[in-house]
Amino acid sequence: MVKDTVPGDPEADPGLLLDLVELVGRTPRHGLVLVPLAAGNSEDQHRTVAAWCERTGNRLVSVIDGLATIRRGRSPDRFEGLDPNQIPGTRLWMYTNFDCNLACDYCCVRSSPQTPRAALGVDRVRQLAAEAVDAGVSELILTGGEPFLLPDLDDLVSACTDVLPTTLLTNGMLFKGRRLEALRRMDRTRLTLQISLDSPTAEIHDAHRGPGSWDRAVSGIRIALEEGFRVKVAATLPYEQTHAVEPFHAFLETLGIPSEDRIIRALARRGVADQGIELTVETLIPEITITATGVYWHPVGAEHADQLVTRDIFPLQKAITQAIDKFTGYRADAVSAAQWFPCA
Amino acid sequence: MTVTLMVGAVAYTPNVVPIWEGMRDYFADTDAPMDFVLFSNYGRQVDALLAGTIDIAWNTNLAWVRTVGQTNGECRALAMRDTDTVFQTVLVAPAGGGLSGLESLRGKRLALGSQDSAHAAILPVHYLSEAGLGSDAVELLRINSDVGKHGDTGRSELDALRAVLEGRADAAAIGINTWDSIGRDELMPGAFEAFWTSPTYSHCNFTTLPSLGADRADPWVAALFAMDWENPQHREVLEMEGLRRWVPPELDGYQSLFEAVEKQEISLRW
Repeated sequence: MVKDTVPGDPEADPGLLLDLVELVGRTPRHGLVLVPLAAGNSEDQHRTVAAWCERTGNRLVSVIDGLATIRRGRSPDRFEGLDPNQIPGTRLWMYTNFDCNLACDYCCVRSSPQTPRAALGVDRVRQLAAEAVDAGVSELILTGGEPFLLPDLDDLVSACTDVLPTTLLTNGMLFKGRRLEALRRMDRTRLTLQISLDSPTAEIHDAHRGPGSWDRAVSGIRIALEEGFRVKVAATLPYEQTHAVEPFHAFLETLGIPSEDRIIRALARRGVADQGIELTVETLIPEITITATGVYWHPVGAEHADQLVTRDIFPLQKAITQAIDKFTGYRADAVSAAQWFPCA
Repeated sequence: MTVTLMVGAVAYTPNVVPIWEGMRDYFADTDAPMDFVLFSNYGRQVDALLAGTIDIAWNTNLAWVRTVGQTNGECRALAMRDTDTVFQTVLVAPAGGGLSGLESLRGKRLALGSQDSAHAAILPVHYLSEAGLGSDAVELLRINSDVGKHGDTGRSELDALRAVLEGRADAAAIGINTWDSIGRDELMPGAFEAFWTSPTYSHCNFTTLPSLGADRADPWVAALFAMDWENPQHREVLEMEGLRRWVPPELDGYQSLFEAVEKQEISLRW
């Protein structure tokens, strides 16, 4: 009358489902639970566990050596805690070129007058801008190298400002002659200029960027303001100096740069910089960055293989999705690690 | 000054805490703020409701029936989950085992969940009895794994299913929620099959006494009904508690359990 065996798939282990319900059911929300899989048919069981997790709104973290690790409940919002502007894919960076009229001693991408141009080109920029709109990007950011070395920069900028608000990073030193004319053709209502200036006096700035560069950068800020552009000023400082910047703020006040348009960033140990904070893909919120050679995690690592997301620039949406998926994985791993090694 | 309503619930899983913290946080922004007290079993919770320690009890169907019995019907139900209006008991057996309908259990052994589980013990016995299948016709294997919590943990139902897998029973009586939680017969098609499903009946509800006036109860119920599945913060709580929306109580859905409790002479204090 009472059967000794369970009919059906001989590989199936219905007891596994019962174990899953019981073990996960008594686990606190977002807690981890380990479920041992029977030896011999762990691949079938892996599939069963994955299907059960999908169906019941739990997350299969991993299956290693016959042990399934499951997180109770749905994963928290993958972008939880991020400022809206920090959500990957909100801003799209494009390296227009890598050559530069300066050779700053901390440049994260080793730009200098000798660096090959490696230009992205107006056609690719135009396509990227168009795909960016479809991908949900809300701001384009152009950087280099020094973009004003490009003869067709105004075309390239208009390809961006035609579709999205755009920020153009520059050292501000080349606003004269045909380049000034090119600047004047740019859309003031859609373009923000971000000019690099490291200190309120020439000494520190020139020590890193070259003699006379501070005077010309300050002059560039004034020209850009006079031409009616919104100007942001960005300083790159050793981390220990980022908390003593009152004189710098006071100086920017005299230039008419409002506080919300001042950016103080710590020096990163990337490119030619031999000091600075370490930035890795595991610890860095991605800012999708396009160069002529591929898609990178962040502009600070745009010539470093460890930050390469993909060589395929197009379709842009796919590249953004790849970066977001990696980022989501890193966040989940970090949370898992915290669960695995509680400190108190 | 608004007086905070005290709501009681039974702590059958650690996740009861975030559920009721979420409810408390939600109601804090309404004109009917609440706090909660957790009990180890439904007997204690009903005692606390009758003693006035709590204003509202989140009761199982059995706790509702027992509260009605102890108040001579003066208690009232305020609301329930949408899922509470269509609860069912499912009889499950090994796939391909040939069982079909209640009558096919004649001469077989049926594993039941905890004795105080309406859906996995009391009502299955009632349905068998209504079909003319008494204890002489169907052998019952009672698995009392979580007595006091009215089957909320689901553990006794899982143990009943294990009894089927191990050949200690031919079939198991479980709640539709447990059947769903193991993926019905879809995740492992060759394992279990449902060979009988009961009519729908009502399960949990928020129970209160006449001492809680409409001036306090109505704003709380109105705020409860205003919880919105489309609101991510509300949805987090709703998902954990297993519903999409709160609805008015359907009291007709308790009739079968009232009859079962009377016929089976279930203790007033369960």
